[in-house]
Amino acid sequence: MDIKRAIITAAGKSQRTLPLQSLVDRDGQTKTALAIVIEEVLAAGIEELCVVVCPGDEKDYRAAAGEHAKRLEFVAQKQPLGYGHAVSCAAKFAGKKPFLLLVGDHLYVSGEVRRCAQQLVEVAAKENCAVSAVQATHESKLPYYGAIGGRLIAARQGLYEITEVAEKPTPTVAEQRLIVPGLRAGHYLCFFGMHVLTPSVMALLAEEVAAVGTRGGVHLSATLAKLARKERYLAAELTGRRYDIGAHYGLLTAQLALALSGKDRDEVLTGLVELLAQRGK
Amino acid sequence: MLTKLITARKAAQRDASLDAHCRDLSAAQLLAECAELDAFRRHSDNLYERVRALFFLYAINRFHLPEKLPTQAPISHLPSPISSGLIPFTGYEQFLHRRFEEAIDTFLAAQAQQGPSDGLSSALANAYHRLAFQTLADQVRRSVRSVRGNQWMFRVGHPADQPLRLRPELLQRAPDGTYPILRELTPVRMDLTHSAWSDIFFLGMDFPEGAKVLNVSVDLGVHGRDAAPRPPVSAWLRVLDEPVLRLTSVDLGATADITALSDVFDFAKDYLGLLKAAVIAAGVVPPGIEGSGQSLAELLARIVGPGRGLELVSCVNDIPKGSRLAVSTNLLGSLVSVLMRATGQAASLTDELQEHERRIVLARALLGEWLGGSGGGWQDSGGVWPGMKLIEGVIAGEGDPEFGISRGRLMPQHRILNLDDASAETRRKLQDSLVLVHGGMAQNVGPILEMVTEKYLLRCEAEWSGRQDALRILDEVLAALKAGDIRALGAATTRNFREPIQAIIPWASTAFTEQLIERVGREFGDDFWGFWMLGGMSGGGMGFIFAPHRKAEGQRRLQEIMSATKRELQHALPFAMEPVVFDYAINERGTWADLLAADTALMPAGYYALTVPKLLRTDRQELPAARRAELDKFAAACRAKPELRGMVQTLFDTMFPRLKEEKAGAQSLDELLAANGFDRDAHEAIRADLKAARIGLAQNRLPANTVIEDVRAEDVTHTSQKKPLVERGLAALRNGEAAVVTLSAGAASRWTQGAGVVKSLHPFCKLGGRHRTFLEVHLAKSRRISRLAGQAVPHVFTTSYLTHGPLTEFLATNQNYGYEGPLLLSRGASVGLRLVPTARDLRFAWEEMPQQVLDEQQQKVRDSLRTALLRWAESAGEATDYRDNLALQCLHPVGHFYEVPNLLRNGTLAALLRERPQLKTLLLHNIDTTGATLDPALLGQHLSSGATLSFEVITRRLDDRGGGLARVDGRTRLVEGLAMPHEELEFGLSYYNTLTTWIDVDGFLRALGLTRDDVLLSRRGQEAEGLGAAESASSPRRLPDAADAKITAAIRALAAKVPTYITTKDVKKRWGHGQEDVFPVAQFEKLWGDLTALPEIDSRFLVVDRARGQQLKDQAQLDGWLRDGSSAYVESLCAWD
Repeated sequence: MDIKRAIITAAGKSQRTLPLQSLVDRDGQTKTALAIVIEEVLAAGIEELCVVVCPGDEKDYRAAAGEHAKRLEFVAQKQPLGYGHAVSCAAKFAGKKPFLLLVGDHLYVSGEVRRCAQQLVEVAAKENCAVSAVQATHESKLPYYGAIGGRLIAARQGLYEITEVAEKPTPTVAEQRLIVPGLRAGHYLCFFGMHVLTPSVMALLAEEVAAVGTRGGVHLSATLAKLARKERYLAAELTGRRYDIGAHYGLLTAQLALALSGKDRDEVLTGLVELLAQRGK
Repeated sequence: MLTKLITARKAAQRDASLDAHCRDLSAAQLLAECAELDAFRRHSDNLYERVRALFFLYAINRFHLPEKLPTQAPISHLPSPISSGLIPFTGYEQFLHRRFEEAIDTFLAAQAQQGPSDGLSSALANAYHRLAFQTLADQVRRSVRSVRGNQWMFRVGHPADQPLRLRPELLQRAPDGTYPILRELTPVRMDLTHSAWSDIFFLGMDFPEGAKVLNVSVDLGVHGRDAAPRPPVSAWLRVLDEPVLRLTSVDLGATADITALSDVFDFAKDYLGLLKAAVIAAGVVPPGIEGSGQSLAELLARIVGPGRGLELVSCVNDIPKGSRLAVSTNLLGSLVSVLMRATGQAASLTDELQEHERRIVLARALLGEWLGGSGGGWQDSGGVWPGMKLIEGVIAGEGDPEFGISRGRLMPQHRILNLDDASAETRRKLQDSLVLVHGGMAQNVGPILEMVTEKYLLRCEAEWSGRQDALRILDEVLAALKAGDIRALGAATTRNFREPIQAIIPWASTAFTEQLIERVGREFGDDFWGFWMLGGMSGGGMGFIFAPHRKAEGQRRLQEIMSATKRELQHALPFAMEPVVFDYAINERGTWADLLAADTALMPAGYYALTVPKLLRTDRQELPAARRAELDKFAAACRAKPELRGMVQTLFDTMFPRLKEEKAGAQSLDELLAANGFDRDAHEAIRADLKAARIGLAQNRLPANTVIEDVRAEDVTHTSQKKPLVERGLAALRNGEAAVVTLSAGAASRWTQGAGVVKSLHPFCKLGGRHRTFLEVHLAKSRRISRLAGQAVPHVFTTSYLTHGPLTEFLATNQNYGYEGPLLLSRGASVGLRLVPTARDLRFAWEEMPQQVLDEQQQKVRDSLRTALLRWAESAGEATDYRDNLALQCLHPVGHFYEVPNLLRNGTLAALLRERPQLKTLLLHNIDTTGATLDPALLGQHLSSGATLSFEVITRRLDDRGGGLARVDGRTRLVEGLAMPHEELEFGLSYYNTLTTWIDVDGFLRALGLTRDDVLLSRRGQEAEGLGAAESASSPRRLPDAADAKITAAIRALAAKVPTYITTKDVKKRWGHGQEDVFPVAQFEKLWGDLTALPEIDSRFLVVDRARGQQLKDQAQLDGWLRDGSSAYVESLCAWD
């Protein structure tokens, strides 16, 4: 499977300005969050990018993308009918090809040489099917994420065959349906905000959008649950962490994570130690 | 050999009865089997093998070994203490602290050292029994925790870990600022087959194939009170603008704003324990957070949002407690369900639940019951499911937490019956025939559930075959439903009640139930199609099935019949309320929720009756805006809605309560005190002493330096049936020299947990084919002796303010049970007024005195209750008069010391002496010593010894607590348990006091400095011309003449020589609809056994058989009493007519 297209969603009501925030990247350069995400995508060998935005946001986003602006295609989500609907807005862009899907308000810090998106794309290419990146997450964070249930694929560490997908499950549901062997107690595999999806997803989303009409509430998780019943669909634990910049102190945490894994690590650490020392007084 | 019964692969061998295998084994063989079983249970990994081995060990030690051990002969001819058969105190302490394994080791070591004995077997039996139940309870608890969907709650230890969030719909305010209300309406369940208790968790896990019930969800209304049946249980939830958890129970009239996390786990602090258990079991305040010291406000902020809280209200539509319709479990289910919906744990906020969600509600209700320290059966949350369903045990499979541990799963499966199984027509026909009632009795079924568990796990023959019968009857009921044949259904449920249920537990029926069935049967003849027992035991919720054309009449007449029968038996059986007839309808949708928004967002009417008065007293401006808006809405609803029409009057009555009026005809407390010889001066002296700590529980004890030793062989006489003694006794009986005095002033407080019935009138057991009262049993024994001697034996029952009236009336109604001899009542001449206990005494009773530690969660509940009771004692005023209850519950008898002296004061002895001047001996015994009788050999023994008082003692078993026979500073005497300076001293005493005493009338008078003439010359004595005079002696007054003064002075002088003890007694206070609270109150008493300390009285001690000396104090003893041959022994002493 050859993955050359990526969709970045940034049309959420509370999400609109997040990709526009500036951070200092691992290379010490100040960039917008959007630019960092775009670099993540490009490093995975993606050639065509589409950003789903709220109507009217295109100009700001183009500016925030900096040097990558010319490579971007923009699609507006005219009505806020759910995350699944936002993805389906880019159906034309995706065409009949597999695509990488990312959310615009998450940043990723890889724990190895390859960046997170590259790791995911390589797994999908090898397995030749849809793959969602997942991360073992404590149950207290369940209200924030979609989660999967499934089983480990024999002799493949960190790769799971997905049987269930639930959006923001309660721990009660999670415990009954989403327990995955091999995880620590009270931990579930939650979405990482990064997927490689097949064209079937767009087809399923289109059905869903048609079914709900203007009532909205088209959730990607529900569609992914259908996908799991329809075709082989895997989850991969990547070497890396995701940072939700929309969470409380999310931007700060993401910045620290980037800085501590980049060239300015010593400088930032020194600053932190000084802060701690002063606090000690 | 017996271990093979446990490990056998073949069901036939595995289900074989232990009793049958033990019957022919000798004591030595039984001991060898015990050793093998004990070793087996220690190494077996399988839970059920261990548990069955424990029950086997219990049964052998309780029922088989004692009768095969040689009777304890005089141990030693040397003047040394008797040291065989003593139960080591260390073992007892370990037992009390639930360290059962250690206790067993201690008892076994003692057995190895001293040899087997009755006492040690009793200790081992108790320890094995408790360990077996503890093991089972631990397993249920583990299973409840490990049910998927429950586990996460035990991991949450911090508000930041709380993963639940409130559904956004509940945060949508109406324009007036009020939040919507989520309302859950839940039916209750009735068990159409009576499951022969097969829904007890342990049993479903042991033998899932046999765990089957047919359970029907029903709406309910009280006939004549409610317009139509409706789901009786409801739970209401809404958001608050304060960071509190506001819990309200409309039916219990209790509401509280909880702000501290620890208070959520304090179950007995108020009446809101069930709501708290639901909040915890639903994961809102997860069990894992208990004791973390975290903030409730932060936890609520996490779920509902900063600064917000939750309000939870429960309502059971005034359905009385004890209905056997599992009202409280279904309420718990309803509360859990509404909380789960609100926090997104159920997919649907409103309407019905999905099957997997119902199962989680069931699992959470089980958890809640365990947290609250109670526990029903697994069918009890049946109301959560719709319509009729078959609930069955399931064999544990791979993946179940129980797999490899028990045969069955904790959670059963539910199959909802469709219209093929029971057509709509059949359902209607059932409703047209069945009359549901609550007979008014509310009894603790706990002991029955333990008995059933034990019998099933032992595979006792009759019970096991009863269980198979019950399963066949269930099939018959299902077939009858399929065929639409309600008459056949009635026949099946009746047979179920008559045969298997009573074969398994004879106590499941009561005299009340039997009379109801008999009367209804007589009145309705062929149109009475059957009786049906609901739940754990009869007398509460019951069903009567009639031909449809007579159902309405059946409803009306049942109310009358039940009320009349209750009136007749109200002193004999523990009734908690007036009987009621229910209207009901099958509920075909199960638990159901709706969202009340805007104008309809109102709580149940009773909620406002409870909360509005307080709100009205608050300045309107100080009320939060949402509260003000709600009041306006409520006011508007009161004007518009017909169902709220009476609200204004209700509120008015709540705010301006009418003065409490004494019930017409009932005597006031002060009148009762005056009429029963209450001594105000003595009372004030006792109060002063109690306040000053001169008397109290700690002061009951003998000085610590008292030397208390076990008696020696020469201090007691071992009785036998030697011919000369028998002949001497018979001669005295023939000559009319002996009479019986039965102490029957008591209110069966242990038997009924303080319900205040007349114990002598309690029909406690079926003997000779029907229920017999204690009174009847004692008379039947005297009748037999009368016939043996050819001379009628006079029989006296001593009474008290509590029992005199009912006994008089009862004997008149029943023509003295046809007793041929003189029958007299001796009315108590003194009474005490109970006091609020001192906190010091309560602490002493709970902290200093050894007592059984309960299972972990129950102990927590008990501790919390005790804290509340301490607060009550302090706020009500320590050592003040206890008046806050029915007048009769505030009085107390002043101890059995006074019972014999009363015979002198009230003329009863004079009457006896006039009727038969040759009278020499009285046999005094307790109402519950069922084996006591005028045994000729014992009488002969007593007469030959020349003693004034001969006390009967028995060898001690673990349950025989409360003193014993000892050498106290060298003198042989009885010592009360209250007076023991150290608890362990009691365990060094070989003999336990039965209180049964042979009294030499003249000797006793001599000790008082009196003669027969004094007795006969007293005014009462002179009045007692004939035996009927005892009746007229029922209003004691001071005796004016010299003889009276002499008698009074003599009794006072004697009384002064014996100590006054302070004791605490549990007294039940009833309120609401069958609700009960138990308060420990202080009272004083003087005890008969202390006469043995007086040197001027020649007291002797006779060792008698256990069967003769055994007392029946507790209902839980009945089963063992029946099984160990004691009841057969008692029957052999009786002549019923």
